[in-house]
Amino acid sequence: MKTFDLRVKQLLDGDLSLADLPPELRAEGEEALRLLAAVDRTPVTLSPALDARVMAVVRQRAQSPAGRAWRWLNTPRDVELRLRVRPWAVWAGALAAAAALVLLLGRAAPAPVPGVQARGGTRDSVFVRFVLYAPGARRVAVAGTFNQWDRGAALLAPAGTSGVWTTTLALPVGQHQYAFVVDGARWVVDPSAPAVDDGFGRRNSVVAVTAEGAHL
Amino acid sequence: MRTIGLVLTLLLGSTLTGALDAQDVRPRLDRRVSPEVQRAVQRIAADAAAQGLPIDPLVQKAIEGAAKDVPADRVIAAVRALAGRLGQSMAAVREGGVSTPGGDVVEGGADALNAGLTGREVSDLVRVSRPPQDPTLTLRVAATLAALGVPAKQVLTLLQGLISDGRSQSDLLGLPGQVQTGVGRGATPAQAAAGLARAAGGLPPGRNPDWVPPGQRKPKHKP
Repeated sequence: MKTFDLRVKQLLDGDLSLADLPPELRAEGEEALRLLAAVDRTPVTLSPALDARVMAVVRQRAQSPAGRAWRWLNTPRDVELRLRVRPWAVWAGALAAAAALVLLLGRAAPAPVPGVQARGGTRDSVFVRFVLYAPGARRVAVAGTFNQWDRGAALLAPAGTSGVWTTTLALPVGQHQYAFVVDGARWVVDPSAPAVDDGFGRRNSVVAVTAEGAHL
Repeated sequence: MRTIGLVLTLLLGSTLTGALDAQDVRPRLDRRVSPEVQRAVQRIAADAAAQGLPIDPLVQKAIEGAAKDVPADRVIAAVRALAGRLGQSMAAVREGGVSTPGGDVVEGGADALNAGLTGREVSDLVRVSRPPQDPTLTLRVAATLAALGVPAKQVLTLLQGLISDGRSQSDLLGLPGQVQTGVGRGATPAQAAAGLARAAGGLPPGRNPDWVPPGQRKPKHKP
């Protein structure tokens, strides 16, 4: 394959004229122009049968199972749905919808305030005094089922410098589990109350509150 | 057609109820437990709600675990175990004669099972706790006594005896504290509970109905 000089290519592209080429390249440029002039530049006319042949191939491909499935899925169509419903089914559906609505509205009520949630099912509250001897503690709180185990919700106050911490809370009647939280991290059971397994390998203290008072 | 309609109606109702219960859990756990625990508890609570079990104890247990910085896998395991106990408790409470138990009594039964009582003992305690007694309270006291170390059979005998004697709910609630006081004086939990039974006039645990205290004469049976 013959390789033309770059300037000869520029001549063929019309960027340069033959006179622009240096004398040593003019012969090469003339040859290139002669070769280009020999190329058949007659406009191509496609056979009228070509259209038919191309369309035949397209239709053949359209007949494939995948093509038919795609067209079936993709073609919009009119659907007529006729339902025969018995009256009791309509009523049952309406009742279910009404029940769901009532349930929704009922649950939209404000959530119970932490610390006054009764586990025993009554609304009566009783004042209960919590006491912990924790000398050296900087902060003591009591957390339990009555305040959603919030370790910052019920802080105990130090009674002077004796190391005794105390607080009084209004608890609803029922049985509650709790623990003291010393310095925000250490969970301590109440040494004066019964304790039960908390399910995490630790213990919770238990206080039973009746209308007559608290039972430890 | 009729059957299909009925099934569809029931399905719609139960699906809506279950979905609402599951939705209820999310805001209560939000920002209180890790996302991992939240997702797991939602699933467990949805299953529990579908069985008619209370979901509040499950939420409480998850929140308690997170508050105590318990690792997520242990919190999930504890919540799952609690859901299992709630299911057992529901069955036991129904066996005890309460056909549609409330959440509190089911939770009390689960506490009792966790403390070592059997399903049958839970059923027996529910059966004996007829009004004015509250089976929830009886079960919670039983759970606390068992957790203190009083043998389950002795718990059952003590509570049955006191309820039969017509003791008040306040009397029952005071039992754990009295047992603990006895333990503080050097008694075992069983001895402390036996002391309470004697003081109440009931039979010591394990004695036959014709047992008489030492020094007393056994009544003669007529032929």
